[in-house]
Amino acid sequence: MLKILLVSIDKTSMSALKAGFEEHDVQTGWAESGGDALSMIAQRDFNLVVTDENLGDMTGLEFIKNVVSQNPMVNCAAVSTLLPEDFHEASEGLGILMQLPVRPKPEYAKELLEHLKSILDLAIETS
Amino acid sequence: MKNGRIAVPSNGKGGLEATRSGHFGHCDVFTFIDVENGAIKQISTIDNQEHVQGGCMVPVNLLASHNVNALIVGGIGMRPLMGFQQAGIDVYHDSERPEIKPVVEDLIAGKLSKIQEDQVCGGGGGQTKPA
Repeated sequence: MLKILLVSIDKTSMSALKAGFEEHDVQTGWAESGGDALSMIAQRDFNLVVTDENLGDMTGLEFIKNVVSQNPMVNCAAVSTLLPEDFHEASEGLGILMQLPVRPKPEYAKELLEHLKSILDLAIETS
Repeated sequence: MKNGRIAVPSNGKGGLEATRSGHFGHCDVFTFIDVENGAIKQISTIDNQEHVQGGCMVPVNLLASHNVNALIVGGIGMRPLMGFQQAGIDVYHDSERPEIKPVVEDLIAGKLSKIQEDQVCGGGGGQTKPA
């Protein structure tokens, strides 16, 4: 079963996405700050972490930089209001799976899972 | 480097006389240079895997599974660099020369520097010249 961590100050902002994930064989967790999420990632494995744009104690992109330093094997997606080209520039090198809109709808869950599975399948082929 | 396997992201069919790819994630093949007692012992190549957004760990797994000890890049992102470090693969940097042979010879001779975290792609760093 895939394990996904949702990170947001406002639990309702990810509720639709969470519902979308839970239509599939996915276990979701939630953290309300970047610091809390980093502690959770240090203690258990997650296949994917989805972060909101601002987490109170750090921005979503700052959080992902910390995740990459702590455990580069964790896949990340980020909510961002930046234009796609600006997001690409701001997140270059961090290996982010997908940029998501604010309050992502359930259909993004399916898209993210398909993308995640393609990466996990490639990882299995090469290991 | 006295003994070990060096990987170089390469254009076309690769090989010691080929040119380097500017970004490891998008290269055509990886050229492997096996070094024994400080001399080049054998050259081989493997195809790179499909590159998908966020799939930075795929080449890390690929090179780790082929017992690579050192990688020479012109540019690399923070996430794959952290991945290679975690996998125990040393990452060296040369952003100037497009040819494979001279940078490999420099690495063997101990004249090539490891990439620093402030040289990674993103935030204006990690510029790369090799095509």
